[in-house]
Amino acid sequence: MKVSLFLTCLADAAYPADVGRSTVEVLERLGCEIDFPKNQTCCGQPAYNSGFHRETRDVAKHMIRTFEHADYIVSPSGSCVAMLKEYPHLFEDDPEWIGRAKKLADKSYELTQFIVNVLEVEDVGAEFEGKVTYHTSCHMTRLLGEREAPMKLLKNVKGLNFTELPNKQQCCGFGGTFSVKMLPISEQMVDEKVQHIEETNADILIGADLGCLMNIGGRIDRQGKSVKVMHIAEILNSQK
Amino acid sequence: MATGTIQNQDKFLDKIANQLGRKRQTKEVELPAWKKAPQYDVFKGLSMDELLAQFVIQCEKIHANVVVTKMNELEEIFHEVIQKLGGESIVYWNDSRFETYGLTAALTQEKEEGISVHEWKSDLGKKNIEIAERANIGITFSDITLAESGTVVLLSDSGKARSVSLLPQKHLAIIPKSTIVPRMTQASEKIHEISKNEGRTPSCINFISGPSNSADIELRLVVGVHGPVEVTYIVIDDM
Amino acid sequence: MGVKISNEKFFDRVDKGIKDTFMRKAVSEAQSRLEGRKIEVTEELGNWEDWRDLSEEIRQHTLENLDYYLEQFARNVAKQGGHVFFAGNAEEANDYITSVVKKKNAKNIVKSKSMVTEEIGMNEALEEIGCNVVESDLGEWILQLDDHDPPSHIVVPALHKNKEQIRETFNKKRQYDKTSDPDELAKFARQELRKDFLAAEVGITGCNFAVAESGSVSLVTNEGNARLATTLPETQITVMGMERIVPTWKELDILVTMLCRSAVGQKLTSYITGLTATKEQGDVDGPEEFHVVIVDNGRSKILGTKFQSALQCIRCAACINVCPVYRHVGGHSYGSIYPGPIGAVLTPLLEGYEDYKELPFASSLCAACTDACPVKIPLHEQLVEHRRIIVEQEGKSSFGEKLAMKGYAFGASTPSLYQMGIKGAPTFINTIAGKDGDGKGAGPIKLWTDIRNLPKSTGQSFRKWYNNREKGGND
Repeated sequence: MKVSLFLTCLADAAYPADVGRSTVEVLERLGCEIDFPKNQTCCGQPAYNSGFHRETRDVAKHMIRTFEHADYIVSPSGSCVAMLKEYPHLFEDDPEWIGRAKKLADKSYELTQFIVNVLEVEDVGAEFEGKVTYHTSCHMTRLLGEREAPMKLLKNVKGLNFTELPNKQQCCGFGGTFSVKMLPISEQMVDEKVQHIEETNADILIGADLGCLMNIGGRIDRQGKSVKVMHIAEILNSQK
Repeated sequence: MATGTIQNQDKFLDKIANQLGRKRQTKEVELPAWKKAPQYDVFKGLSMDELLAQFVIQCEKIHANVVVTKMNELEEIFHEVIQKLGGESIVYWNDSRFETYGLTAALTQEKEEGISVHEWKSDLGKKNIEIAERANIGITFSDITLAESGTVVLLSDSGKARSVSLLPQKHLAIIPKSTIVPRMTQASEKIHEISKNEGRTPSCINFISGPSNSADIELRLVVGVHGPVEVTYIVIDDM
Repeated sequence: MGVKISNEKFFDRVDKGIKDTFMRKAVSEAQSRLEGRKIEVTEELGNWEDWRDLSEEIRQHTLENLDYYLEQFARNVAKQGGHVFFAGNAEEANDYITSVVKKKNAKNIVKSKSMVTEEIGMNEALEEIGCNVVESDLGEWILQLDDHDPPSHIVVPALHKNKEQIRETFNKKRQYDKTSDPDELAKFARQELRKDFLAAEVGITGCNFAVAESGSVSLVTNEGNARLATTLPETQITVMGMERIVPTWKELDILVTMLCRSAVGQKLTSYITGLTATKEQGDVDGPEEFHVVIVDNGRSKILGTKFQSALQCIRCAACINVCPVYRHVGGHSYGSIYPGPIGAVLTPLLEGYEDYKELPFASSLCAACTDACPVKIPLHEQLVEHRRIIVEQEGKSSFGEKLAMKGYAFGASTPSLYQMGIKGAPTFINTIAGKDGDGKGAGPIKLWTDIRNLPKSTGQSFRKWYNNREKGGND
């Protein structure tokens, strides 16, 4: 099965190779052939959520062209995939592009969703020792509607000592540009999240969206706390 | 009855139609067949006894006292309940069911024992309200009873006054078991039929579920704010 | 009062909210309790999503045919002796209401809780003609006594106050000398307000839902104050937002079910009261004269737009009870009598963007509101639509942001530029981030680093790793 990887701009630019690499290796281990379209950029969410929809359409068109050849588009981010699924709304009045946008939306999957629902695998054979908790990102759960896949996969990772995060449904306060535009509010939200993480006594916070992890991890670092954040792809790629 | 007035209607409704991008709806709009109907699943297929059991469970949750009795024990139970509620003074509806269930006689008995008993009488006018306002217990009959929410539905008329379930310190509602239905759905259907067939809907329909309460201060439940501080139901097995 | 409750700037209001520790604790506890109770009573039904679908369908159908149902309602009210006034705006509504009150020579007015009367500033209009207007909902009465402190929640208006503050207010204004026990406070309110009810010549209520087929109005309460306000005074005036209507009693059943469960986690509140026009012949209690005022006040211009579904709102506050932003800043920060997600959607629609241009941005778009809404208003999508209008039509974004977004879009649709950018990003981030990731940077990055570190960009990039691998190299 050929899978086209949409890395997302955060994994591409702000982070080292780990998340993308783990995604590639996990998928390959499950028998997928990876295609990485080099012209890919960003899903357009920063502009879209800021109200700049004309500008978003330019980005969306570029992404549609870049991934038009793909059978499946898989991305290690629920939020960015939810944005790909927004594209048809952007082209409601554009008969040429709406069909192409719909096709793109229909073949886009978040990584864990793809593994569980398309590959129908719940145990990827990973092993990871550690006391962990998991942040359920808002866009993954509410916009994409994927509430179960990450937990199904984590349940089968050997060695995980898992504690559920209290008030897990609450937003971490990232929200893209919200995190800087509404800084004082975002700060309160991320502090509450960090407090709940500490209540679990976990050493590692796992998440499936780099946006949330960058926010929570950045705040944890600033406060000089020792909890480490990791992307779920890295956990699923861990082997003894 | 004099017809009321309607002012400023056309300009207002034309604007709405205009915003909706069409002319005013002049033909009757038919209600669509709604795609879902979950309301009928609640307590579906339950027997009357099972509905009664559900009703009793719910009453506990809403702080309503409930006593279930048979016809032949009603008088005795009624007397006990009145005592428990502190007797003193009673106002009750002018409603033929008091006679049917033998409660008129029971109330006469209470009177003889020194309790002040008043039947709501239209021709006494506002005097009724003064009496109700000072009364300890107001007694009504449930017209429709909802198992799901522990609710009595009271349809007003000249004898079945709004004040009786509202102004006294305590409200006692008599519930013939035969009036129990699963939920508000069945009651709403009855009221829908009444308004369709009889032309006039009762001027006041009350769905009462337990005592008056409030959580406006620090979200703490306070029982008894403006309405009765205590609600008691006597369910009579009339089937 | 009007919609606007503050002249302070948005970020000043937010700052005040964040610093109010009592309020935040109260809000946070209230949210947990209300949401917990809601989840309990909705899960118990087992098919909540079906209920939401049905409710949405009912609300959509009613709005699509709103002129028809309002006309049917008005006809049925008038047929049974009630009077109907259609008010295009706040002024028309207040003029009508004050004229009715003047005609009755009434001085004492008792009111049950109603958001729309707050919205149109009705109390002030009545006080101006010399009336004594008493709020009878316990929460509203507390706020009224406390020199008209604005409500901070649409269901629990005095949520931001604690019992000590309430005791103090009662003491200062009404010589109350007992404890701050909520039971005692409420008992005192009962005694005080009972006098007002008995003295009132006019009772004024809001309306949860009007029923078109019978010309009835329904009121959903727990305290019983709405019942008193419609039982004792000789004249009843009901004020309703024009969208608060259902076709028949059967749809009323559904929406009342949704309201009670979503607002307070009850199956039904203590009192659901259906009132139809005036009292009937032979009735002693109930109003002799009945007026209903149907208010537009900016609602009609929402119809036919992408915001139409905002009018599906049944004012249950479920969105407010799950909102993380509301939890931290409280109701007053929104500057509107309608706070929370629905407030952020509705307020700019009713009042324009000028005073409320920050509200649609004060959301992380976490969509908890959309999930909670019993009538399925896509609240977070409407917030994005507001943002689009603010940027594209109102031109209210800053020059710097416009430039940044244009630059972003150009970069993100031009692969060569993008790749140049990401190649430089780690160096850039490392430079501004400093060795420990806590550097200050400039612009949005400075804001980010005000409270958080940047990720540490050590090690090779994904693209470098991938290219190497393709060439057969190892990592």
